[in-house]
Amino acid sequence: MVDFEPSKQDVEEVRAQLTEKLGHIARSIEYVPGAGILVEVPVKRIREAVKIIHNDLDAYLRTVAGVDERPVKGVFSAYYVFGLDSKHVNIIVVAYMDSDKPSIPSVVDIAPSADWYELEMYDLLGIRVEGRRLYRFILPEDWPEGLYPLRKDVAYNIRPEPSLRGREAISGPRVPVGPYHPALHEPEYFELYVEGERVVDVRYNGFHVHRGIEKLGESRFTYQQVPFLAERICGICGFVHSVCYTQAVENAARIDVPERALYIRSLVLEVERLHSHLLWIGVACHLLGYDAGFMHAWRIREKTMVLAELLTGSRKTYGINLVGGVRKDINRDKIGKVLDTVKWVEDEFKKLVEVITSVPQVVKRATGTGILPKHDARAYSVVGPVARASGLNRDVRRDYPYAAYKDVSFKVPVYSEGDNLARLLVRVDEVFESIEIIRQLLDQLPQGPIMAEELEIPEGRIGVSSVEAPRGEDIHFIITGKGRPYRWRVRAPTYQNIPALKVMLKDAPLADAPLTIASIDPCFSCTDRVVVVDARTRKRRIISLRKLSKINCIGCLI
Amino acid sequence: MSLLKPFKLIGIAHRSGVVTVRYPFQPPLVTPEFRGRIRIDASKCIGCGACVNACPSNALTLVDDGERRVLNYFIGRCIYCGRCADVCPVGAITISREFELATDNIGDLNSRVIHYKATCSCCGEETTATERMISYVVSRVPVTETYVHMGSRCRKRRFIEGLMMGRGMVYGESER
Repeated sequence: MVDFEPSKQDVEEVRAQLTEKLGHIARSIEYVPGAGILVEVPVKRIREAVKIIHNDLDAYLRTVAGVDERPVKGVFSAYYVFGLDSKHVNIIVVAYMDSDKPSIPSVVDIAPSADWYELEMYDLLGIRVEGRRLYRFILPEDWPEGLYPLRKDVAYNIRPEPSLRGREAISGPRVPVGPYHPALHEPEYFELYVEGERVVDVRYNGFHVHRGIEKLGESRFTYQQVPFLAERICGICGFVHSVCYTQAVENAARIDVPERALYIRSLVLEVERLHSHLLWIGVACHLLGYDAGFMHAWRIREKTMVLAELLTGSRKTYGINLVGGVRKDINRDKIGKVLDTVKWVEDEFKKLVEVITSVPQVVKRATGTGILPKHDARAYSVVGPVARASGLNRDVRRDYPYAAYKDVSFKVPVYSEGDNLARLLVRVDEVFESIEIIRQLLDQLPQGPIMAEELEIPEGRIGVSSVEAPRGEDIHFIITGKGRPYRWRVRAPTYQNIPALKVMLKDAPLADAPLTIASIDPCFSCTDRVVVVDARTRKRRIISLRKLSKINCIGCLI
Repeated sequence: MSLLKPFKLIGIAHRSGVVTVRYPFQPPLVTPEFRGRIRIDASKCIGCGACVNACPSNALTLVDDGERRVLNYFIGRCIYCGRCADVCPVGAITISREFELATDNIGDLNSRVIHYKATCSCCGEETTATERMISYVVSRVPVTETYVHMGSRCRKRRFIEGLMMGRGMVYGESER
């Protein structure tokens, strides 16, 4: 059973619509099974195409992949993947660029969510995006100019000499430390500009631990090794990435995955969602100073971790996914244990939620703070619980069903308030839905093999796959190559959600900032820091997110 | 009575009691399915390198050292996925449940299996296969025994010779 296919009727409808509206621009419009409708447009007219698809068809930008296709087609290319939720179809707009001086017009004013993608294309592939400000975004400051790591003629293991920009060389051994703790993962760095208590602007400075995973997967790993690398993209929702990668390859190569394997994938994905949401609810309580809630949420979560270990062999980074199926089967004994555990989790969580949603310090501080209005959510193409809390009815599990989700029924909780409480309640509801999904999956679990017999992956195919991670939609784009992916584009959910923080934090009191930043569920670490800059005196202070959560008055800082 | 609701937590806490455990002063709580470090049974290993090809993190490496071929397992790089155990043709690799692997001696993190390369029965040079690999192949497919003890160069030569003799030619004739 190949991963989800949209119905023929939907595809034909969208195709007819595209031919009508884009017929005068497009060079070709064809349906690629496993990916979507591929529309090739001349690079000069990309803006028109994006405008029509984004605004007239109401599709949202899912990801953009710049590719160095010089060795194969002699060009650079940019693939814009749009999602048309109502028709369950992806529209992929591709533009080919000159191989010497690749450049493409910016679409950021049409689709604000394209901002980061364009910067990334410029930084990693050297594609000039015209009509916008370009600056170094992902690569470190001392990275040499003109060296674009994702180009195919750049080796994956080069180590450029460190340069001392404008600094005097100091003799003797050098030990670089910080400013981000090297041992902890995912340091995020926000600069909040304040006037008194009010936040007036926000700047995000990230990618300090960009590990070049895409490049590694494209150059050193093989198809069956990448799932283990993909799993390490995120420490909380790693399985999501490995499922997303394997599905993308399976879609591209049209591999038939056994039903039972699809069910096991769905089951483990839901167990992962349980643990992730319980973790987040605990952390949110902690940030609000309600540590008792934190302890009890994590007490419940621990059972789901042990359950994951029983099902897969590991508490995290499960390592049971391969292209073509899964590695570990489940038996009657394990099914019984899963059912017992989810029953226990359901009972305990119900009691805890009743308490948490009645504690004044949680409810009052979460209500009406960090508001993301619906039109902003739409413009930034936010995903997951953030989107659902702002009234966007969007869930990949329902809209682009993958694995075994087509066989289960579940509700998608949607709240229209767009504040921190709505985001909390979406996650609470999803915990109960996940438990229901787990029960349905185990009830219908089909017999059979768990690994596809034939694994043949032809070169040059395109595959797109998306998975609803606990934080939102995760999407992988793949062009197959020889023995390994030719291009592997990963877009994690937080990538879509962080730019929307600007809206949530603006004009809000500083004291609400920690919860608001946390409310999009970025991967936490104690290195999360906030710089508070007083717009009047230009004084700076760096404090930890934890400490910020404890102070109520800006006066004691400056 | 919503004002009193938060106090329900006291009841929840009382019922759940103490949930932390006395680790490390008690046996570690891992399920039977837990994947820890691997163990390589040196008496079974044939040095074919299937595990090295499958290993995503290069924890297993195969190094040629003169007449020896060394399979090295370095725990420092291991991600405990157990792919090596999946692909091992002779079942020499087992996944253990050991996870307390911290040490102050880096030597403890390496384990080696040393193999000797077979020599060609024809010219006496080292071949690309280990002795164990050859006996494994022989035990599985007895018909290959004529060629299996030779290096690839000699094997190719003998094959062409055999082919030509079958056609009534003398080896090397075509070169003239």
